[in-house]
Amino acid sequence: MTADPRPDTRPKLDGSAVYGVDLDAPGMLWGALVPAPVGHGRVRSVDLAPARALEGVVAVGAADLATLLPGSTGDPDRPLFPTETIFYRNQPVAAVAAPTRELARQAARAVRVDVEPLPVVSDLEDIFPEWPGPAADGSPHVAAHVRAREGDVEAVFRTAETVVRETYRTSSVHQVALEPHACLAEVADGKWRVRTSTQSPFGAREDTASLLGVPEDSVIVEGTWVGGGFGGKGAALLEPYALLLAKASGRPVKLALSYREEFQLGRTTLPSVIRMETAVSGGRIVARRVRLLLDVGNSLPGRDFATGYSIGFLLGPYHTPAFEVEGYAVRTNKPPFGPHRAPFAPQCAFVLESHLDHVAREAGLDPAAFRASHLWKEGDRTPLGQPVGPFGLAAAFEKARTIAARWRSEAGPDHGVGVALGFWSTSTGAGGEVQLTLSPSGLSVLQGEREIGSGSVLVGVAAVASRCTGLPRDRVAVDYEDTSRAPFDSGVYGSRTTAALGRAVEEASRALFAELGKRLGVSDPVHLEVAEGEVFAVAGTHRRPVRELFTESERSGGGLVTSGKHYGKGGEIDERKVEVGAFYPYTDFTGAAHAVEVVVDRGTGTVRVLRYAAVHDVGTVIDPATAIAQVEGGVAMGLGTALTEEALWSDDGRLLNAGLLDYRIPTLGSVPPIGVTFLDGFPGAGPFGAKGLGEPPIIPVAAAVALAVRDATGAHVTELPLSSERVARALKLL
Amino acid sequence: MTPSPLTLTVNGRGRALDGVPDSERLLDTIRWRLGLKGTKEGCRSGECGACTVLVDGVSTLSCLTLAHEVDGASLTTIEGVADDPVGRTVTEAFARAGALQCGYCTPGFVLALVGLLKERGWAAPTDELLQDLSGNLCRCTGYLAIARAVAALPREAP
Repeated sequence: MTADPRPDTRPKLDGSAVYGVDLDAPGMLWGALVPAPVGHGRVRSVDLAPARALEGVVAVGAADLATLLPGSTGDPDRPLFPTETIFYRNQPVAAVAAPTRELARQAARAVRVDVEPLPVVSDLEDIFPEWPGPAADGSPHVAAHVRAREGDVEAVFRTAETVVRETYRTSSVHQVALEPHACLAEVADGKWRVRTSTQSPFGAREDTASLLGVPEDSVIVEGTWVGGGFGGKGAALLEPYALLLAKASGRPVKLALSYREEFQLGRTTLPSVIRMETAVSGGRIVARRVRLLLDVGNSLPGRDFATGYSIGFLLGPYHTPAFEVEGYAVRTNKPPFGPHRAPFAPQCAFVLESHLDHVAREAGLDPAAFRASHLWKEGDRTPLGQPVGPFGLAAAFEKARTIAARWRSEAGPDHGVGVALGFWSTSTGAGGEVQLTLSPSGLSVLQGEREIGSGSVLVGVAAVASRCTGLPRDRVAVDYEDTSRAPFDSGVYGSRTTAALGRAVEEASRALFAELGKRLGVSDPVHLEVAEGEVFAVAGTHRRPVRELFTESERSGGGLVTSGKHYGKGGEIDERKVEVGAFYPYTDFTGAAHAVEVVVDRGTGTVRVLRYAAVHDVGTVIDPATAIAQVEGGVAMGLGTALTEEALWSDDGRLLNAGLLDYRIPTLGSVPPIGVTFLDGFPGAGPFGAKGLGEPPIIPVAAAVALAVRDATGAHVTELPLSSERVARALKLL
Repeated sequence: MTPSPLTLTVNGRGRALDGVPDSERLLDTIRWRLGLKGTKEGCRSGECGACTVLVDGVSTLSCLTLAHEVDGASLTTIEGVADDPVGRTVTEAFARAGALQCGYCTPGFVLALVGLLKERGWAAPTDELLQDLSGNLCRCTGYLAIARAVAALPREAP
């Protein structure tokens, strides 16, 4: 049998991998959340007595918190249960636990929630039908306001040869990780212990401690196998409630969402309205104005990162000498906004690429050449003044255009080809650390993350450790512990894991080799080799089994231990251009150019995707097979955003399509073959110049599809997704 | 009314279960009474395919099946799939193609494919197999590695 390409292959093929939903414990109770019955309202009373009357049921509500959490105020901004105001439908107003799942659900339904309904504001355009003026800053609906500018935009607009003004709208999309959120909590000896399906055990610990109002070191989080994350499992969601129920009952409590609840309570991307205005003279962009209204649901003021970060993706990766960008994060009666693979960047790329394509057409210019001539290159500065690092986007664009030209020459009627760009940056997050243990038989990497599927932990970190030490991959194991024992890491998000933990591995490897060199008594560079099943340290003519270099305690304790950490940071932006709020610098510059061929049904507006090519600047490829898998999966997910995925919210704040039949993700027949090309030579912030790749593949997809639809039919669709209905309207079929 | 006892052959072993309510889904019986957690719970409404098992060799959504409907039947779950040559071949094809990421949909895909091969035989065209697998959802792979695993299957009994 040949070696498996992934070390997690066997447990995932023999059923032994334990996910959050699979957890159980002796004497365990099942929990359930009691959902708010309205989208907005004032709590008159929450009567738990009917639930408590059921045999074996434990119920907790706001009134129990003082007893369960003595001396704690929790997080005053984010109460576990609302005592006054309900902000979104299905917001937990109480929690129950019972010996069976059925009884828990029955108990949850038995709780009497008396609410005075208040007007629900679900649509951000109902709040701001016009662009908000200065008075909006005091509005309870504004969670964040950002503005930056350069130059006198209005003056340039007045004198420009061509000015194009457009409005775009994007829809709410869900992560649809197939495993719903699930955890198992136990409280004993003053410790709040929770096993959970999470992208960030340390993030869940911090968040849980803050929500409960208990010391962070009293909370212990252990990750399980994760059945998909895509951003949705990055923060605490169920953990505090499961812990409260465990505390109240004195028993282990399992809390798992149904898939319907997963849709209703998951934090994800919400709708936006984006105004784009561009002025062109002499074939050059001379000024741009960008205005973003981003629905952030019940996000709290001061906690919005998305607006300031994503608005940069509406400007770049293109030069503009004068600009004005302004964005508002708008609170509505929906669950709080949360990250969804490359949060909001696919929507921004769709808007930016569609708009600039349209601008070029209006100005009588070749759209692709127009975009290419404005692209950032290394050494340029972003509109916000950050120097651009190594960046392969222009090269990727050229390559994708070559592919597209060939496809276009072969395309039949109603076929169209689109090429779109996306850029991103490898997040370092709040940093990460690893501990290496060199044993006589190999190397183990101890860290705090669980594999969420991308391979970034079990394949990526192992590949970096292998490359750093020279040990073959099958001699490197990646291990994890719970948050009380593992070195800190901030989480599997932001395309950061292999990059940030990999840098920590590099540092720990250097420490390891320095120590081995000292023990060998040599100044030559050291490397490791395996012979006869044993690891040797080799330097120049010196060659010794590593076990002979270990101290007595290392021999009995498992090996030689070193550690490494990586707390990277982004570059700097020119703060003089920032007038209001926070904008954020990039850590590195990651680019992708995607080409797609579609055929559009002229009778129904239905778009079918025929072939796809993705060209990515990833710095250095760490593991080709998982890199290709990331691109394939990201493109497929992007096709959902492009064509079918749209969470529909009613005026009273209900999610109308909380299920997989009505919220349609791509299926096996709908994803075309995808050609993947990686460009070398543009190093990024990760080990060996690697750049993160979890998120970039989803970014250009919707934009490329929209441009292909325009190429095929002339239809200029300014809303996502490009559903049959929207395309049909654009084709005047409806 | 006390439910009648339930007799099943599970991955080749006889199992007798008492006290299974008439309303219990086969999915819950497998996961919580038999302790075979490899059968995954996704949507619980027949939309995702994660809970697919074989009932007398036929691929079946265990979330839409009541346990008592299959009284006397022989079940195959992911834990037992490799005991059979078809299952072993499919499992190895998935492993070699790297046809999994988070792994949550994987047991359902493997069982659905094994059921199709048992029904259609090894000579079944790849396109037809893929068409019939399209009721199983995957969010990680974009299905392409899964399609490569299917395409790499032998065309006759291994």
